[in-house]
Amino acid sequence: MWIERKALAAEVPAAAGLDTRQLCELLAALGFPVDGVASREGTEVLDVDITANRGDAMSHRGMAREVAAKLQQPLAPLAPPPVTEGAPKIPVRLESPACPLYATALLSLGKGATPPEVQSFLRALEASAKGLPAVDASNELLLRYGHPTHAFDTDRIQGAVSVRWATAGEKLVTLDGVARTLTALDLVIADEAGPIAMAGVMGGDGTKVTEATRRVLLESAWFDPKTVRATARRHSLHTDASHRFGRGADPAMATVARNLLVERLQAWAGATLEGAWTAGVLPAPAGSVILAEALLSRVAGEALPLGEAAEALQRLGCGVEARREALAVQPPSWRHDLTIPEDLAEEVLRLRGYEAIQSVLPPLEGPPQPLAPGYLQRQALARRLAHLGFHQTVTYGFISPEADAAFAAPDNAPEGRTLVNPLGQEYSMMRGTLLSSLRAAAEQNLRQGAREIRLFEIAPTYVSGPRGPVEGFTLGLAWGGTVGGEDYLSPARSVREADLSGMARDLGLAAVPEIRSLSEGLFGFEVPVSALPQAGARIIPAFRPFSRFPSVERDLSLLVDLGQSHDALVAVMRAALPEETLQDLRCVDVFRHKSLPEGRQAWLMRLRFQADRTLVGTEVDGWMASALAAAEGLGARLRA
Amino acid sequence: MDHLLPAEILEADRAFPGALAACADVDALLRLKGAYVGREGSHAARLMDLLKAAPKEQKRDLGAAINGLKQQWEEGLKARQADLEAVKRSRNDLASRWDPTLPPPVPARGALHPLNRLMDRLVEVFRPLGFHVEEGPEVETEAHNFDGLNIPEDHPAKASSDTFYLAAHPELLLRTHTSPVQVRTLLRVAPDLEKLGGIRFLAPGRVYRKDEIDPTHSPMFHQVEGMLVGHDIGMQHLKGTLEYALRALFGPHTEIRLRPSYFPFVEPGCEVDVSCPLCDAKGCRVCKGSGWVEILGAGLLHPNVLRYAGIDPEEWSGWAFGMGVERMAMMLSQTPDLRLFFENDQRFLKAMGGLD
Repeated sequence: MWIERKALAAEVPAAAGLDTRQLCELLAALGFPVDGVASREGTEVLDVDITANRGDAMSHRGMAREVAAKLQQPLAPLAPPPVTEGAPKIPVRLESPACPLYATALLSLGKGATPPEVQSFLRALEASAKGLPAVDASNELLLRYGHPTHAFDTDRIQGAVSVRWATAGEKLVTLDGVARTLTALDLVIADEAGPIAMAGVMGGDGTKVTEATRRVLLESAWFDPKTVRATARRHSLHTDASHRFGRGADPAMATVARNLLVERLQAWAGATLEGAWTAGVLPAPAGSVILAEALLSRVAGEALPLGEAAEALQRLGCGVEARREALAVQPPSWRHDLTIPEDLAEEVLRLRGYEAIQSVLPPLEGPPQPLAPGYLQRQALARRLAHLGFHQTVTYGFISPEADAAFAAPDNAPEGRTLVNPLGQEYSMMRGTLLSSLRAAAEQNLRQGAREIRLFEIAPTYVSGPRGPVEGFTLGLAWGGTVGGEDYLSPARSVREADLSGMARDLGLAAVPEIRSLSEGLFGFEVPVSALPQAGARIIPAFRPFSRFPSVERDLSLLVDLGQSHDALVAVMRAALPEETLQDLRCVDVFRHKSLPEGRQAWLMRLRFQADRTLVGTEVDGWMASALAAAEGLGARLRA
Repeated sequence: MDHLLPAEILEADRAFPGALAACADVDALLRLKGAYVGREGSHAARLMDLLKAAPKEQKRDLGAAINGLKQQWEEGLKARQADLEAVKRSRNDLASRWDPTLPPPVPARGALHPLNRLMDRLVEVFRPLGFHVEEGPEVETEAHNFDGLNIPEDHPAKASSDTFYLAAHPELLLRTHTSPVQVRTLLRVAPDLEKLGGIRFLAPGRVYRKDEIDPTHSPMFHQVEGMLVGHDIGMQHLKGTLEYALRALFGPHTEIRLRPSYFPFVEPGCEVDVSCPLCDAKGCRVCKGSGWVEILGAGLLHPNVLRYAGIDPEEWSGWAFGMGVERMAMMLSQTPDLRLFFENDQRFLKAMGGLD
């Protein structure tokens, strides 16, 4: 909210002695940081940030109360000339507990206009001056004292006025010209023809004050905050009035504001008071709150004398009564946020200044807990992949249904993962896959000229379940472009599926996941993080003896069919060899060329044997013969 | 004596030094050697034939002349061969020598994401104080995200204009802060709180709010939540812990400042400023000349938060804080646009995330 320096000083004269910087620091220390300072209408205005719990501070008077309490300086008196009340000129019926108090007055307007200094004050606060005294005075009072009021054109009101719940479907055109359909939960001011205002939110267009208005009916009431908030939200109509009633206005201000408004209309517009009256009574104040010395000391971190606390609370307008080791505190009528002892302790500390709080490390009361294995696993995995040349990405958890369908498991129902109010269709589904997001990031990098792209993400993916999406951390990896060719020793080549399956093996996956083609020359896979091996419980695994005798390595060049499965060939060869001696058996080179018999390729199989003794050449020859014979069983032949 | 020698030999002898110098390598030299002193068809061979056929009285002089020539040629050839071989050896040496200035093969180098790196660092900072990590789901219940945190039924944050909801499960939403991890953790540990001696943890994670994407807003971002529950916990413990942590993070000369503020789940509540780490609080663009930057929100746990989890606020008390990871990352790195953190350009990631 904008606060004008001079208007603030008018409420708390001591503020006049502060320069802007001091005032900003003072307000920030009280919990009202200043977001900016501007010069308008030849005066300085501060953009003060007011938290949602402090509706009482949303005015110059409210801010002045804070400054006065902090500086221990008096507020300027607020004493409008009393208005004598009489019998209602127009009956006002309060039909809902959401409006316990409704002060009003009826005035006939004479000649006159809003004083220039008031128009200037309104403009400085970015409130438009309408030139209509009844409207401008109401706005000025709101900004100065925080209590919203309203003026109706009396001659357009039909019959008696009531404050009641709307009936569902009732219509009201509000001041902004919008026709609104009301619900039974909206509180309205109505005449005998129907609603004339949305209580605490906005007046009606049909009864608004215009140049032609001769008589005004004033409203200075108190409305239930919850009701006002709900109506404002329901109709997306957030106004200066709804902000203040919605956060809790000061019921004691209703009569004062009415009197101030009468005074202004008499002074500015030559108005004649025809009558003033009030329907209802002040709502009962909330009970007092007990602030125990022990709680105050606990919150403050040191023993604070109750007398000091009482004095601070009194400065804020609280009624304080000393009890045994406690204070019974009656918050002032404008402070709806002081409901529990902690609230009061905060007020005491706030006035004292948070800078006075000491700095103490909390003692350990129990042993620290270890970091969870799952968390550690993800940290280690990310570090490992980064060291392997991969870049960790962070992408949104929601994607488009098309992107999701491209890679998510077909049995992962999209309906269970769809948002009802997404930012847009492309962000509408909690993703069942990381690959679409990785693909988008990779393609973007390739478009930007990246030669090789290596990305990974560790993030939750979602699986639809009967009670909502079930999320589990997933590792997704994408790799594409050209590897090598960047130095004189490494030849350039395209990334191949085998590179990804090698990476999957290196990560310790028991089964190589499906390697997906993401786009031309770009591949990826994803696996649940839970499928990756976790660090064992032992710091160092149990010792397993190993042979110190030399191993023997032999190669076998085989012609095999083009469709031959490596796993199958290895399986039959292994079966023919002594398990304890065969250390390794794998294809180390593939040769495909037109010089080979049609339909065949050459595989160079490498076998490594080792035992707890020196191996003899003839026994290795025997094993090689067995291995070849086994391979021949699958149609392989020794390559000449 | 030259009159005894044929004119073409004399010509060849005159050409010899030029031919010798013209030999670029040993092979050319060997060819030249063959032409001058080879066994057959060479100039020397022809001279020997001449000597055989010469009249007896000339043989002596002719022989001397021939020998002189041959010796001269052979010496020239030998010297030149030695030179050429030395050149070749030195070339071979160069060819086999490793040039350490030639760009070598370098292992591929990736990077952690800067946001993850910052969150890891925060965990590291709090670890010595006995904080561990708690996590919770991103798809949360309204109860955990709002109700358990003393957020009133009609709070505007609950509106579908602010919070994402699931279509098929109206009670489920995308958590708007990491605070539901507080609720989950307190509910879980409440029965054992005495045995555990309270609890203290961090909750890093991703959160969602319905903000349009622009340079300072993202519908998904990261928070790190911290919470401590113990006996007789007050504001001094919050301040002490944050002072320790922020000094560990930004340097030992860092000052912190608490300002009153309001969050429904804490009472008292505060905003915490840190002396600007970029200008040593001298005043710069980042701290807008004030020397202070707002870094997090915090406060003592509202008794209703403890009560919701079944913990007696008369016996237990605690504090909590929450900080925006992107905000801090942008501040520390001076990254001008929040969207860079979600674009995942490898150049950005390599430069900003790197490796530890």
